[in-house]
Amino acid sequence: MNKTFDRYASIAFLAIGILFIAESRKITASAYGSQVGPNIFPMGLGIVLIVLSLRLLYETFKYHHSEKQRSSLDYKRFGIIFAAAFLYCYFLEDIGYVLSTFLFLLIGFQTMQKGKIWSSIIISGGFSFGVYYLFVEVLKGSLPGLPTWLGLL
Amino acid sequence: MGTLDFLMNGFSVALQWHNLLFAFFGVLIGTAVGVLPGIGPMSGVALLIPITSSLTGGLGAEDAAVSSIILLAGVYYGAMYGGSTTSILLNTPGESSSVMTTLDGYQMAKQGRAGAALAISAIGSFVAGLFSLIGLILLAQPLSEVALRFGPPEYFSLMLLGLAAVSGLAGKSMTKALIMTVFGLLLATVGMDNVSGVARFTYDIPVLYNGLEFLTISVGLFALGEVFKTILHREANEGTIAKITRIIPTKQDMKDSAGPIARGSLLGFFLGVLPGAGATLASFFAYVMEKRLSKNPEKFGKGAIEGVASPETANNAAAGGAMIPLLTLGIPGSGTTAILMGAFIMFNIQPGPLLFDEHPQVAWGLIASMFAGNVMLLILNLPLVRIFAKIIATPPKYLIPLIVAFSVFGVYAVQVTTFDLMLLLACGVVGYFLATNDFPLPPLVLGLVLGPMIENNMRRALTASNGDFMIFLQKPVSAVFLMIGLLWLVIPLVLKWKGKKVDVTESM
Repeated sequence: MNKTFDRYASIAFLAIGILFIAESRKITASAYGSQVGPNIFPMGLGIVLIVLSLRLLYETFKYHHSEKQRSSLDYKRFGIIFAAAFLYCYFLEDIGYVLSTFLFLLIGFQTMQKGKIWSSIIISGGFSFGVYYLFVEVLKGSLPGLPTWLGLL
Repeated sequence: MGTLDFLMNGFSVALQWHNLLFAFFGVLIGTAVGVLPGIGPMSGVALLIPITSSLTGGLGAEDAAVSSIILLAGVYYGAMYGGSTTSILLNTPGESSSVMTTLDGYQMAKQGRAGAALAISAIGSFVAGLFSLIGLILLAQPLSEVALRFGPPEYFSLMLLGLAAVSGLAGKSMTKALIMTVFGLLLATVGMDNVSGVARFTYDIPVLYNGLEFLTISVGLFALGEVFKTILHREANEGTIAKITRIIPTKQDMKDSAGPIARGSLLGFFLGVLPGAGATLASFFAYVMEKRLSKNPEKFGKGAIEGVASPETANNAAAGGAMIPLLTLGIPGSGTTAILMGAFIMFNIQPGPLLFDEHPQVAWGLIASMFAGNVMLLILNLPLVRIFAKIIATPPKYLIPLIVAFSVFGVYAVQVTTFDLMLLLACGVVGYFLATNDFPLPPLVLGLVLGPMIENNMRRALTASNGDFMIFLQKPVSAVFLMIGLLWLVIPLVLKWKGKKVDVTESM
């Protein structure tokens, strides 16, 4: 078990519990026709969460000396893919589904493993066009199309 | 109408050609999900919810629900079939419920008996599937009739019992499991309150008024969390895939595994019905039981066919058994059934005792489709197992980015907001950190799904009692549920505490 993480996590959950209690005090305590307002449930849960996170904090002090076995994590690959995913989600509505998905997949494939650029292009193109066509044309769903400034549509 | 008439009606629904197609795709995708190590039944079902909802867009409300649920349930039990394939051929379980299968399955594969091991696990899964379906049919009506007499206090206590059971058995630390449960319940309170119409924790942000979408959170936590883990830990299939030679098991194999299959079905089914126990524990107990019962237990771990037959049978029986509390009581007992329940609710169908009265089409159609699905799975997994074994070789290079793209598509197709996409990514990161540090995720999803119902029932009960909390103890049935729930949490603690004491005295 990771002592440091558990300690931070218990403090974070403690804060969440306090936040929910503090915020649920601002909710009206009465509901028409009932003595039990919409504030009771979250407030009660907040209290339970505080108790549990204190318990976890207490437990972390009892952990046996945790041996540090830091396996090197692949932060670089994760960073690139996560950043790409973030940009993908952020700009999805602006540049449209097909283009953003194509770019994200291309970056993703190449980050996972360099090389075979043509098969990457074919698969990402196939996926983005395929999903868009199936969903929008066949199933009549709605996805942001190609950006209008391309002047294609 | 008797149960048989309902079942016949169910078959008339399930055997419509489009529903057969849905069942087929469900079990096909399920088997693939089971085979692929990066993606489990929970993320598989969650990812497919948006796709099924758009596929069935042209059908009427109830028909759409039947077809979608048929597909999603197919993914669930199909994954139980597929999970054995990697355990046997590669020594890496595709699902946690197939961990026990690696012990003897991989040994059998090394001895050149991979085909027999795969065949026995398919046959065992099939028998278990049929067995649990019959159990489901027999228990559905009586159980839902009992449940119909429950009022709000009983429901509240029953749901607490379900949560307690899942938290008591999930993961290594009960404190962490309980934290996840409470956190899930708290997340469920964000948004418009159903009873009074008051907005809670929304801070005038419009997207929050509808609450945090269950689909976004579960896809993020399970599918993306798993993907991030694979990227960060550079997980890859190493080792060689064993060759499949002869698929049909010998007579001796069949004779040896008949007993384990029968016992595994029974044990798995009952463990599946209990909330919290689920497929993983069922396969574990079944394996241990067979080893105890065996005349020569030293065979186990060296390629005993009993060691493959029993856990694979038990995990499938448990998956079937877990459908019972979901369908009859409306209480999911595991992470995957919680996600299935979320799907039901998305289609505006409330699982529970009224399901069989109000939507017999859905309930019986689903049950009948599971018969058809199990037959399809047997065919897919016996003659076609070689093809599925090839899926293992899918390079993660393509798989990982595609799962991310699928998650984004799925969430956007249903929610159509950038906010949900951001929430999806955040849940992925949170899910990765929580899961790698032994914070179990299924209780969180369970809390999120059950939260609104627990709160509604609690407040209805309290309104009737004028705010007196004692009502939960004054109603005998409710008190019994609370008592069992408490025991579920306390007994493991006591056992652990006693175990520690024994350790101390021994070391002295």
